[in-house]
Amino acid sequence: MADDWGMLLFRHLIDAGIEEAEAGELTDDALAEAAAAGVEPGSMYGPALTYAGALARTVRQATRHAAPPPRRRDAIVLRLRNVTKRYRRRQVLREVNLDLRAGEVAAVIGANGSGKSTLLNICAGLTRASSGTVQRTERIGYAPQHEGVAPLLTPAEHFRLFGAACRMNRKEAVSVGSQLAAQLGWRPRRNVVASHLSGGTRQKLNVVLSELNGPDLILLDEPYQGFDQDSYVDFWDQVFRWRNGGAGVLVVSHMLHDLDRVDHVLELQPVGES
Amino acid sequence: MPRNISQQWLHGFLDLCLLCLLADRRDYGRGLVERLAEVGFDEVPGGTLYPALLRLEKQGLVRTEKEVSPSGPPRKYYELTDLGRATMHERRGAWIQFRAAMSAVVEAPAARSGRE
Repeated sequence: MADDWGMLLFRHLIDAGIEEAEAGELTDDALAEAAAAGVEPGSMYGPALTYAGALARTVRQATRHAAPPPRRRDAIVLRLRNVTKRYRRRQVLREVNLDLRAGEVAAVIGANGSGKSTLLNICAGLTRASSGTVQRTERIGYAPQHEGVAPLLTPAEHFRLFGAACRMNRKEAVSVGSQLAAQLGWRPRRNVVASHLSGGTRQKLNVVLSELNGPDLILLDEPYQGFDQDSYVDFWDQVFRWRNGGAGVLVVSHMLHDLDRVDHVLELQPVGES
Repeated sequence: MPRNISQQWLHGFLDLCLLCLLADRRDYGRGLVERLAEVGFDEVPGGTLYPALLRLEKQGLVRTEKEVSPSGPPRKYYELTDLGRATMHERRGAWIQFRAAMSAVVEAPAARSGRE
């Protein structure tokens, strides 16, 4: 029993992006402590999966606090002026304005149908605004909620494909992609195609792809349930890590936590017929 | 998940409790749980305690040492560092202020008598 639990804990820690040596040490400690107390590890720590999640979060947060990177705030990376969008007679966005600088986070909030995703697509250049102007930096990363990954390719194949688009060689693309994945507490398995990944993991893949070229502006959709059921907080950790690294980040937010830490809140109103 | 309200509260103050207990003397995990239970807290689950201890260790507030025990496998002992001791004093000051403010609100005669 104890051995099974230990194996599970170790594997979940690895999956959560913990280095093998540290995962082994954490597992040994947990088993030794339970043995010393004379109880099954499962009854002492709860399920291996949850315990691994708690440990992994602690380790990640510690490394984050260890070296707070300097915060830059300088050039404007995205400027929206009176951006309006209408589909036939239905107005979706009305006169949206924003100045987002490098080293800032903007959260876009609003009810369903208020045009959040439309705005994200306009910022990415995939949808044309009906009027108004959009100016942005050249190198952007874009991670929409539902598109962007190819269901039949593995994560490594995605890294190579997207890496090629920004002139990285194959090896470099996979290595950078794997490092970025580890920061999100994800270690992609070989031979698992995107359609077999969970929703949260697919969004991690999306986010890694959006970041592969070291973009100055990152546009993304907050995953509905966080990356995993249990690690909602990690999504925002990552957002602030990008900000601290000097990128401008625009997040379409579906949950209303954490807004006190962002630099801009853009609240969209459903406009409807006009 | 904390089961009841006092467990939820303890969750928020667990780091401070551990720092204070370790300031009195070094201890191992189970020993800390027992000392918390002695003063009237519910048993702290290992899934809560050990991540908290790991966090304190990662923050450089405690250091650990493995020690052979006469019966069974070696135990990991936790001990405050100098930084841990300074942090404990600082947070204890903050707690005393916080407690005074809470008492003023929660235990004030007006709150007890349910004045509108």
